[in-house]
Amino acid sequence: MLIMVNMQIETVLGNKLRIKILKILSKIRELNVTEIARRLGANHKTTMKHLKILENEGILQHKRFGRIRLYRFNENSVKAKAIQTLLETWENAENIR
Amino acid sequence: MVPAYRSVFKDEAKLDITYVPSRLPHREAEMRLLREFFSFMLSTPEKMAQRVLIVGDVGTGKTALSQRFGADIVQQAKQQGLNLHYIHVNCRQYRGSLFFILHHAVSVFHPNFPKRGFSAEELLNIFLQILDEQNAHVILTLDEFENLIEKEGSEPVYKLTRLQETRLNKPQRISLICILKNVKAVESLDPSTRSTLQSNIIRLEKYSKEQLVDIISDRVQLAFKPLAVSEDTISLIAELAHSEGGNARFAIELLWRAGKYADAEDLGAVTPECVRKAVSSIYAITRKSDLASLSLHEKLFLLGMARFFKENDRAYASITEVEQAYAVVCEEFGVEPHTHTQLWKYLQVLSALGIIEKSVSSTGQRGRTTLICLPGIPAHELERELAMLLEKESG
Ligand SMILES: Nc1ncnc2c1ncn2[C@@H]1O[C@H](COP(=O)(O)OP(=O)(O)OP(=O)(O)O)[C@@H](O)[C@H]1O
Ligand SMILES: [Mg+2]
Repeated sequence: MLIMVNMQIETVLGNKLRIKILKILSKIRELNVTEIARRLGANHKTTMKHLKILENEGILQHKRFGRIRLYRFNENSVKAKAIQTLLETWENAENIR
Repeated sequence: MVPAYRSVFKDEAKLDITYVPSRLPHREAEMRLLREFFSFMLSTPEKMAQRVLIVGDVGTGKTALSQRFGADIVQQAKQQGLNLHYIHVNCRQYRGSLFFILHHAVSVFHPNFPKRGFSAEELLNIFLQILDEQNAHVILTLDEFENLIEKEGSEPVYKLTRLQETRLNKPQRISLICILKNVKAVESLDPSTRSTLQSNIIRLEKYSKEQLVDIISDRVQLAFKPLAVSEDTISLIAELAHSEGGNARFAIELLWRAGKYADAEDLGAVTPECVRKAVSSIYAITRKSDLASLSLHEKLFLLGMARFFKENDRAYASITEVEQAYAVVCEEFGVEPHTHTQLWKYLQVLSALGIIEKSVSSTGQRGRTTLICLPGIPAHELERELAMLLEKESG
């Protein structure tokens, strides 16, 4: 696997699909790759690429069951917590408006 | 404004079919036995996997017993710091498919686990992987177990009872409770699976009238206001439920409906007359479940009759009339009508189920004719019910 240097926040969050992935997982908690791809409207390869980036940043983690990979927020990451809080706060504010 | 009225209920939810009472009168011995069979779960769960059959007729408390036991033992395990899960699956609800049953079990741990891309076998391994990772133990209850055997035969049961053979030295993870109405159903399994299952059987006998009185009285206290249900009323309900095969579900449903009739008439108390009204409405509902089991053409035929009676303000119809109505329905559904001889057979089925009644009239001009009537269900209700079922079938 490629070893990546951590990215700057503007790079990590500067991508629509990655934000969408984070939004989906903050709502649904845990999801497999095919389903994430379907909800993104992206193909498997693109989805994997973004999931790997987010995982490499320590924001997501995954578990493997045979061919299935389930992705979720990394429970031990403060960055993950902060992003979840941001997304939830954003969502709530939108609902109030 | 809705006028304030005095409901007889204190807590209607206690009469819901999903409510599991904290104590089950007259099942104390069976509960003790079940606890005995699973006592190792609270000390050395990794050392053993148990299999228990619970057998008994409709409404004898099989599901309630198992669920009460499950909730209690999970609670106890928790206090001891053990990771024990009780998973109750109704095999009929999952169409008897091992895959769907296991999917349900897996989704207890991973709620969005995908439904595609692997076999039941792989899913079973995934389930074990999850349990190993979380060091969890499961009591898996397969309710209405007949459905699983019917759909899948011996294979899945064999797999579930022989898990450990390919998991040498690994902890035991899955114990089974299989619930069924008749132990005969397991006779179709291969001999070794059968013998593993048949060693621990808990049989639930039909409730007697006196036992039903106790069960109903308990539920009355939970669900009704004080003095809202008299002893007379309870006794009548027990009597009726006893003649329905000692069926506690029937008793509780009757109790609830009788309460509804009391409220509808603002009586402030559930009288025997409310019970009698409730009975006739329940018979109509049991009939609804019969409807679901009818074949496509039996349903279409019956739909024809329902329409006939809805459109004609008459108590009886002739064979010719209902056959004509059936032909119209077939046209609507785009299917070829079955022959007169076949329709005769369907008439026998429908009358055996008590959905229709046949009588022979000798006063017709052409000699004897068979007359058909719908004794119980109002025609418009029957039509609605059938239309719904047929839509489900085609959709
Ligand atoms: N001993 C009991 N005490 C209190 N309530 C009971 C008792 N036995 C059964 N019931 C209640 O009667 C109803 C029917 O019981 P249950 O669903 O367990 O029957 P069952 O044997 O599973 O029937 P079926 O074979 O139709 O599934 C439930 O509402 C249950 O709570
Ligand atoms: Mg049951």
